Amino acid sequence: MDLRLKLEPVKCIACGVCEMVCSMHRDSVLTPMTSSIILHIEDKANYFGLVLKTKSEGLVLGRPEGASSGQQASGSGGPGAKPILLREACDLCDGHPKCAKICPTKCITVVD
Amino acid sequence: MNLRNGKIGIIDLSTGESSEEDFAGDVLTEGVPRELLEKHGPDSIVLGTGLLTGSLIPASCVGTLTTGRHTMPILGHAGIELKLTGFDFLVLKGKASNWGYIWIRDGIMEFVEMPESPQLNSWQRTEKIRSDQGDSKIQVLSGGPWCDAGSPAAQLVVDHWGGEDKVGMGAEFGKRNLAAVAFRGMGELEVADPEAHFEKSVALMRGHLSRLALNKGLQSYYEGAAVDDFVSLAHRYIGCYGCPYPCRSYLKTEEDPKEMRLMHKEPGYLHYDIPALEMATKVGLSPRDATRVLVRCARAGAEPVAVMAAALASSAHPDVVSIDALLARHDDIRPASKGNFELSFPALKDYETCLGLGLCPRYWAKVGFDIGAISSCAESALGHKLM
Repeated sequence: MDLRLKLEPVKCIACGVCEMVCSMHRDSVLTPMTSSIILHIEDKANYFGLVLKTKSEGLVLGRPEGASSGQQASGSGGPGAKPILLREACDLCDGHPKCAKICPTKCITVVD
Repeated sequence: MNLRNGKIGIIDLSTGESSEEDFAGDVLTEGVPRELLEKHGPDSIVLGTGLLTGSLIPASCVGTLTTGRHTMPILGHAGIELKLTGFDFLVLKGKASNWGYIWIRDGIMEFVEMPESPQLNSWQRTEKIRSDQGDSKIQVLSGGPWCDAGSPAAQLVVDHWGGEDKVGMGAEFGKRNLAAVAFRGMGELEVADPEAHFEKSVALMRGHLSRLALNKGLQSYYEGAAVDDFVSLAHRYIGCYGCPYPCRSYLKTEEDPKEMRLMHKEPGYLHYDIPALEMATKVGLSPRDATRVLVRCARAGAEPVAVMAAALASSAHPDVVSIDALLARHDDIRPASKGNFELSFPALKDYETCLGLGLCPRYWAKVGFDIGAISSCAESALGHKLM
């Protein structure tokens, strides 16, 4: 089976737990700073979505207007934050992705 | 220390000098701000985070701001961001000699002068701070002109939105020449048993969602948001950190609500202030006009219930224009709100316990404040029983 994560960004409610459980899977601590998935919010315009760093598809951009893949990693999140370029790609939590399991709206799901 | 940083930051606004104290309190947080006020002076302002803020327990998003007898929650992503700055609590003492803001990140806190702030509304302050510090994810508790003037009907906004400050905290900022408090959290929190905490939190959340109807944002908490004119303007619902069942509905009034692309920079407003919407209905404003009024109140740092009550007292049919004119005269408008999140529970004690735990009172009142279920989940993060 070739699992991957599917993003349906219009379902996202920006709760941010996907970032936290991703980092917890890697480092056993709660932080959004080492996750393979980043929540992006333009709060004043209520524009928000997800960026996922994958091994097979490059960056998957989960923008509200639709998801797309294949982008190259570059700086993101401001100079004080850890850019996605420097983060590990998603390892699918050894076959049981935590972000998909805890996502309350099924914005993130696992597909073959 | 699990879910804690073990550190209290203290800054004297009059000198800009900062210091630190150890925080050994792996305890419920309710009483800590009061203790800090007793220690550092009753005129201080205390920012705090709850014991479980930033955990995986549903809606563990809450921070607090306390001064005098009053406390307001800090919601959205600001509560967790505050905890990830490396401090559990922050004490702001004294009064600054010049206008400025407190900037907190990476275990550092400093006073940054912003002499132009009296000319800026709350939204402009937030944008300037984010631009100056180069990070759009900075969370900002900002005052506006009403706060600067010390109006008793002032309110702080959290990022751009109002609804948390129903206790006049904005005026407390203004009295101290404090334009805003800004923070960015890039730290981390230790957890006793990450796998157990994850599994228990997922089970707790799923149990809640299985009992709840499909989420419809604010409409799921307030029936006044179910009217057609409100629903037709609804763009998307957005949750605070860790909230699986959001109460926040964003209404677009300046572009098509169904527009999903990033087009207009200020297309609408995020509604979660139930008393403000109730007052808008009483005043006779449509959801569209109520949204426009709340935008103006948020920018001004004015509590909208008080503003609309004053408008109703002076006109039988207030509109956006007349309310806008009222925003120029903050001195003679009195507080009118009886609370927003404070009204989630019949008993104030449950509200205070929720804040102490770092849990959203509105969410937990909705799903049932089951301290036993929370304890079981919390134990996996803390490494010991909650009580």
